[in-house]
Amino acid sequence: MTDSAVQARVDQALVARVLLADDRRAFEQLLRRYQGMVRAQLRRLLNGDHAKADDLAQETFLLAWRKLDQFRGDARFSTWLHRIAYTCFLQARRKPSWPSDQHDHDDGQQAEPSQAMDLHLDIARAMQRLSHAEQTVLLHCVQLGMSHSETAYVLAMPLGTVKTHAAQGKAKLRALLADWQDRKEEAS
Amino acid sequence: MSEHEDDAVDALLLAAFEGPMPDEGFCDNMMQRLPARRRYVWWPLAAGLAAGAALCFLTLQSAPLMRTGLRDWLSGQLSAPALTLLLAMAGISLLTLVWTMEEADATRMKS
Repeated sequence: MTDSAVQARVDQALVARVLLADDRRAFEQLLRRYQGMVRAQLRRLLNGDHAKADDLAQETFLLAWRKLDQFRGDARFSTWLHRIAYTCFLQARRKPSWPSDQHDHDDGQQAEPSQAMDLHLDIARAMQRLSHAEQTVLLHCVQLGMSHSETAYVLAMPLGTVKTHAAQGKAKLRALLADWQDRKEEAS
Repeated sequence: MSEHEDDAVDALLLAAFEGPMPDEGFCDNMMQRLPARRRYVWWPLAAGLAAGAALCFLTLQSAPLMRTGLRDWLSGQLSAPALTLLLAMAGISLLTLVWTMEEADATRMKS
């Protein structure tokens, strides 16, 4: 049995303990297993806003607690949680109080890459030149380690669209980062 | 894009990802905020169904159409009262089915 299959069985056993025995400690174990990745997902979606991300993470786990009986085990528990988190993010973004500077970064008006910036900043800047959909798909597919079909489930997006965004995003990133590397070579 | 170039972009993206967040008291705070679970209680539904069926029987038991229809149906005769009774039952079943499907759709949309 693969490691992910074992993890899935552990998750299902913990979910069953919560549902059948009202075991809060089982839910706490699920929480400890997945809070890190869910909060990382939300921080990325919120461009590093830690406070807002933690608020949405709390909302995510409260919803998961209330709707745990709706978890059928069709997807991995972590994928189900990421889907709830993404839905919470979308709902928060639709509110009128949402700051306008947190919307999509697909206007293409970005500063030129600087040689002084470290790898993280360079990639963050390159990522900001992608469309919001491309950024979101790459976050889930590459950085959170999901498969294309899991990403499609979390983002409620057709599988073909996910694959297209992933391919386009990677092509753009490759071009952007190669350009930066060329400049670095010219300067040296 | 070749697989090698794809891998290079993946590696850069992974290098820029800070990974899972440390707990920093998040779980303890979260556990304190968890409300009591709402347990599914079955008896109101069962009691409602039983009361509805009993009321229906008491109301209709003296109706001649009901008695004749039931008698004909049990004896295997598809008379007009028996057909009326069967059609009424089919109609109620259909309405219940549509209502259940609507409720299931509404629940799925909310989740």
